[in-house]
Amino acid sequence: MARRGSPARLIVALSVAAVLAVFLVYTSLAGGTPSIQPGQLAGHTGKVSLVGKVVGKPSGDAHAGGLHFRLSDRNGAASVPVVYKGSVPDLFKTGREVVVDGTLRGGVFVAVPNTLVTKCPSKYTPKK
Amino acid sequence: MPDLGRAALVTSFLLLVYAVVGGSYAAWRGRRRLAESAQNALVAAFGATVVAAIVLLAALARHDFSFRYVAEHTSRELPLGYSLTAFWGGQEGSLLLWLLVLCGYSAAAVLTARRAGREVIAWVVPTLGLVGTFFALLLVFVASPLATQVAPADGAGLNPSLQNPYMAVHPPLLYLGYVGLTVPFAFAMGALLARRTDERWIVATRRWTLAAWAFLGVGQLLGAHWAYVEIGWGGYYAWDPVENAALMPWLAATAFLHSVMIQEKRGMLKVWNVLLVVLAFCLSLFGTFLTRSGIIQSIHSFTQSSIGPWFLGFICVITAGALTLVFLRLPLLRSKTRLESLVSREATFLYNNLLLVALALTILWGVVYPLLSEAVTGTAATVSKPYYNFFLHSFGLPLLLLMGIGPLVAWRRASLRALGRTFLWPLAAAVVAGAVLLAAGAGSSRIGVIAYTFSVFVLASIVLEFARGTSARRALGGVGWGGAFSSLVARNRRRYGGYIVHAAVVLLAIGVAGSSAYQTVREKRLHPGNSMTVAGNRLVFRGFESRLEGNHRAIRALVDVYRGSDYLGRYRPGKNQYFAEDQISNEVSIRHDLLTGGDLFLIADQVNADGSVDLKALQKPLVNLLWLAGFVFVGGALIALWPDAREERRLAERYEGAAVRA
Amino acid sequence: MSAALVGALVALSCVVVVAVPFLRDPDAQDDRLLRPGEAEQRRLALAEERDRALAALQELEFDHRTGKVSDDDYREVVGVLRRRAAEALRAVG
Repeated sequence: MARRGSPARLIVALSVAAVLAVFLVYTSLAGGTPSIQPGQLAGHTGKVSLVGKVVGKPSGDAHAGGLHFRLSDRNGAASVPVVYKGSVPDLFKTGREVVVDGTLRGGVFVAVPNTLVTKCPSKYTPKK
Repeated sequence: MPDLGRAALVTSFLLLVYAVVGGSYAAWRGRRRLAESAQNALVAAFGATVVAAIVLLAALARHDFSFRYVAEHTSRELPLGYSLTAFWGGQEGSLLLWLLVLCGYSAAAVLTARRAGREVIAWVVPTLGLVGTFFALLLVFVASPLATQVAPADGAGLNPSLQNPYMAVHPPLLYLGYVGLTVPFAFAMGALLARRTDERWIVATRRWTLAAWAFLGVGQLLGAHWAYVEIGWGGYYAWDPVENAALMPWLAATAFLHSVMIQEKRGMLKVWNVLLVVLAFCLSLFGTFLTRSGIIQSIHSFTQSSIGPWFLGFICVITAGALTLVFLRLPLLRSKTRLESLVSREATFLYNNLLLVALALTILWGVVYPLLSEAVTGTAATVSKPYYNFFLHSFGLPLLLLMGIGPLVAWRRASLRALGRTFLWPLAAAVVAGAVLLAAGAGSSRIGVIAYTFSVFVLASIVLEFARGTSARRALGGVGWGGAFSSLVARNRRRYGGYIVHAAVVLLAIGVAGSSAYQTVREKRLHPGNSMTVAGNRLVFRGFESRLEGNHRAIRALVDVYRGSDYLGRYRPGKNQYFAEDQISNEVSIRHDLLTGGDLFLIADQVNADGSVDLKALQKPLVNLLWLAGFVFVGGALIALWPDAREERRLAERYEGAAVRA
Repeated sequence: MSAALVGALVALSCVVVVAVPFLRDPDAQDDRLLRPGEAEQRRLALAEERDRALAALQELEFDHRTGKVSDDDYREVVGVLRRRAAEALRAVG
């Protein structure tokens, strides 16, 4: 028997509500990772995504003991030492802009393994 | 030469403006000759754009570095093929490609989709012209690919990752998809502007939409394949904004393809369909904007470019205009038909639509989240894989299941008893498969088991559809099994082509589940003679070899692979060092196991001065199903697209028969 | 030189292409863009309704034969669909 009014509208409304609910649950539990530059690190104690320029000469070995390098703000003001273990993108070198996840511990940014990503400044280069 | 190209672009721009202005006036006032003239202007614009494109191609072929674009994207040693495909290696050239494809589509669509009716086409022309004008405007005034300079000695060269056959083909295919979505959008707007309430615009643009959607799908798969073999981190999709930029319009277009079927069968959802096509087109523009503007922190993003604000402005204008038009024509779009039951094929299509749109919007949210969070809290926050995977599983798995349920449910209303009978075999197959999988140890990933069992359910229901249909056709008499099968498919090309496309999606789902939920990853530093084991394969490192090629040096780690006592071959993961571009690229080595469909993926993560290598090895089960799915997808789409003489005759009688009678 | 010549040719042919409708028919008796009137719109809507009804009937038969629709459901619905198709056919004329 045909219904009075359209269940289609009811379905849409319920679905939208359901999606929003699932959504809010997720974002309140997990949330996003703040994306900040070295100068802003001071206030953040949890995991962050650090964006910066590689300055100085990197040392160490990312596959043994850790790669040590410094990241500075885009304008070169503040900088922080980073220790990283894992895959290093081929484009990584001094002067490149990179993104790496991790946490600041005792003045050193300890990176989450395998999260280092480089950005090519002027050419299209996707790199993992 | 550059002047010729620039003049051609200006000509194209002027023609497109004429198409907009003249075309709108002609449609509004009902002037036949002016309408035809505006339509011709679109065709002429295509010609002019081709001239500009040829100028750029010629410059690329000769490495004419007096063209700034050529100097930025090619070099003397670059082979001819890649010099030509450098056309779309940068921003300005990509915009020219967009315009070229748009003008080509526009010209072809207005010339061949006459079924839509003259008064609708009269409005389609200025709509297409408007989109074209935007791109021509950018090309003439903001980002010209034909700017000249004092020629340097050598060019900067093409990025090594783009020197790859897949990257040569991927952008044009994607653009055939992105730009192709303009056609149904323009026809929808044309129908609304012309105050038409019938389905002519849908029937006229059906093949265009399907083709654009297929190109977009294949383009993305090629991109994923490129990422897998060329970038080589072991994966094929990173939820990067640029990847999402193509996925979102594809999802919206998938929803649209399904919901127009409901409008054709039952005359419902007219408003929803128009909104969907607007959404798909706007997401396609947004996708182009994302890839070009650098506004989202993406490892793929180009420079912070000047065209970003332009794109954003254009998207706002289009969205506002389209929504206003829909609102104004709302009374015309009301339909009398109601959804009769929550258990019917219409309802299943509706659920499918809601899930697809929800997935597209959650991806969109994830993409713009950094911008929004920065605007609200001052700090940009990013979401990554866990966010996207959560929603992919929440929405994608039910979608997978629906693919199997939909075809088994009747239109209008399905009784639960009938459902029980039709579902019996697929359900049984799925349960058995689930039990077998759990026994085989697949329980290590809950999502994996769910994906596999759902996939078996869908495959079983597809096979059943073909089997029952063939048997029913044969029962009508006159043909054997083979004849019944081909007759069945030939008479219902869209339906059975669609089932094959569903099968392709299932293969994709199985491949994705296998290669992500059940993969094995091992990393180890190896000196010559050392070995490591991954998933039963023993990898022995023998040392490095170094070779000098045309424009690069190739360093390879020699790895012998054994399984038990069998020698499986020598593989050479390594790095290439490009001279002109001063870059290093990762060159992975992959062993395809054709029997199991899995891959052994070898990455020379780090080449060490002491002669050792940090080797990363991944065993990815069933990953080759993804690429197989691509072929099946194309096959299914072709069947669905194939012209059907009987249907053409019927449509001609319906639409042109009117003209004859009137 | 040759580039300028090509350019001129391109521009000229574009102008010609755009002007063709006017050149072909300089003083047109009827320059009206035919818009379908009310009657025509109704006929089209009815034709679509007729095709829809016939297609629905065909699909019902097929679904019944392949087992998606049970005998009881078939009996319930076929009468309604047949009547709808007959009405639509009559309306189109």
